[in-house]
Amino acid sequence: MDVFQGLAQGFQVALSFEGLLFVLIGVVVGTVIGMIPGLGPITAIAVMIPITYGMDPAIALLLMAGVYYGAAYGGAASSILLNAPGVSEAVATTFDGYPMAKQGKAGKALAIAAIGSFVGGTISIIFLSFLAPLLSKVAVSFGPPEYFALMLMGLTAIASLSDGSTVKALIAGTIGLMIATIGIDAQTGTPRFTFGNPHLLEGIDFLVIALGLFALAEVTALIKNRKEKMDSMHNVGSLKLSKSDYKELAPTMGRQSVLGFLVGILPGAGGTISSFLGYISEKKFSKNPEEFGKGSMRGVAAPETANNAASTGAFVPLLSLGIPGSGTTAVMLGALIVLGIQPGPLLMTEHPDVFYGVIASMYIGNILLLILNLPLIPYLAKILLVPRQLLISLVIVFCIIGVYAISFSTFDLYLLLAFGIIGYLMRLIQFPAAPLLLAFILGGMMEQAFRQSLTISNGSLSIFATSPIAAVMLAIAFLSFLVPIIKSRKSGKKEQAENNKIA
Amino acid sequence: MFHTLNKKVSIFLILSGIFYLVLSFGLPSYEYVPVDADIVPIGLGIVLIILSIILYFVKDQEKKENDDRISKSELPVILGVIGFIILYIFFLEIIGFIITTVLFLFICSLFLGYKKHFINAIISLSIPILIYLLFDSFLQIQLPTGILPF
Repeated sequence: MDVFQGLAQGFQVALSFEGLLFVLIGVVVGTVIGMIPGLGPITAIAVMIPITYGMDPAIALLLMAGVYYGAAYGGAASSILLNAPGVSEAVATTFDGYPMAKQGKAGKALAIAAIGSFVGGTISIIFLSFLAPLLSKVAVSFGPPEYFALMLMGLTAIASLSDGSTVKALIAGTIGLMIATIGIDAQTGTPRFTFGNPHLLEGIDFLVIALGLFALAEVTALIKNRKEKMDSMHNVGSLKLSKSDYKELAPTMGRQSVLGFLVGILPGAGGTISSFLGYISEKKFSKNPEEFGKGSMRGVAAPETANNAASTGAFVPLLSLGIPGSGTTAVMLGALIVLGIQPGPLLMTEHPDVFYGVIASMYIGNILLLILNLPLIPYLAKILLVPRQLLISLVIVFCIIGVYAISFSTFDLYLLLAFGIIGYLMRLIQFPAAPLLLAFILGGMMEQAFRQSLTISNGSLSIFATSPIAAVMLAIAFLSFLVPIIKSRKSGKKEQAENNKIA
Repeated sequence: MFHTLNKKVSIFLILSGIFYLVLSFGLPSYEYVPVDADIVPIGLGIVLIILSIILYFVKDQEKKENDDRISKSELPVILGVIGFIILYIFFLEIIGFIITTVLFLFICSLFLGYKKHFINAIISLSIPILIYLLFDSFLQIQLPTGILPF
């Protein structure tokens, strides 16, 4: 099946009445969740997973795509209207978005964010439509050693590119892999680290970890700021852009779509890096860089276009290799597995309807986001006026239902609470949670690929060196593991020397 | 200050790594299985210990104020909410989804300082009922009924 045929099939599902309805629901719900500071796309998707049980996988995916795009846009809206970026991807949007809102141009900034997201998303999806099948074809020839090396490379790249300390990110990743070893070993049937508890035999569900580490841990921040009253901008102003505005913004959006997509494909370098990179590069391109930070339209367009393009770019490794490149795509992978779909090189040949359905759903999600959310935003912004005290209790209830509906076990709910506390403690000691979740999701597959490789070679590790592809990827993994550690040692020494100088 | 915290965390992680390794070495091995179930856990335990030792010596570049720190006055509130969550989980299957959720929503919001009792009551009542109907009729997922007859 070629790309066009596949897309035509995908669009048939996406353009059905049911398809459109669920994308619409997804976009609105996603926007609302994304607007609430702290609750980003990861939480939005995780909270929606239980609702997709029993749904046709293609329709469920449409709903998720809507939630995904909606949440990204919701984050931008709270950045512009409140100077409160819901997620790190939306931080760069506040630099010029909020000043624009203060000048009474909130509507214009929101329109730029929506159009930028649309352009970035759409151009990125076109690249994705053609690149993912190509990559799938290459990946079909991968054996267990190549797969293991690929996943390890992805994981170390994520750790080294994540915010903050690399060692901490690598430790978080290792702990994620350790948690993945809990349960019955798939190859020998040996129960591992279950302490005789039957609830642990099947391992820990990813939703328990995702909701605990992200949503429940966020509740502590919400509790701390519960007395803060959000003053939403009442006067949003006109949403219209003039012809000259479009003319000014078109090159920015074009450039940032390509840049964002390329950044998105790299494992670990997701929305946050691309949005900052987009903002900085656009400032460098600009003839009037002094306008940036004071309400420049390009300052809003660049990060918004780039981060949406990157979010879509992250689907390339997910769909073609079965490897998530970011925390959000890791949750998407979990959601797909819950629906009985295993992304990877075989997805395109075995389930072309799902493969192209996902891509088609992105086109539709993007378009609906643009048509629907622009006029709805002033009304949706009222959600920010919901008292925090009520919101906190509701978030907790949604987390609990989400986990209970998947396992029907109160044991998992206690685990959820435990991961919520662990998530909070991780924030306190500045350990990133995304590498832990990602490693946990990849853990089972990585171990399987590693042990299959060793079984083929009768226990010899040389199998990883004899495959050139695996060897190169392992070398990259090793470097991305080593370089940041050496760098941080060096900068630590430098800092110490400077401190000594000052003293 | 943070430097010491890194050291403390590192020691805790090294001890956890040793505990994990001890458990891993206790896993059974089989004669005719070329790669046993303990190989990956042993490797991971060693990696964790090595990384934790590195963490012991690593200095954080930024020693900024941590926004996530809870003040002493907030601690009882957080512990109170955790207590409510434990009670909610404990009674969920015994009393049923609707009643426990109504009580949790109302009491937790009240505890956090929401004073508009009428609105609180309406939301606490309507949301659980709506969720229950959505799950029961639309998604065919049965949430615990508990003491209620339906």
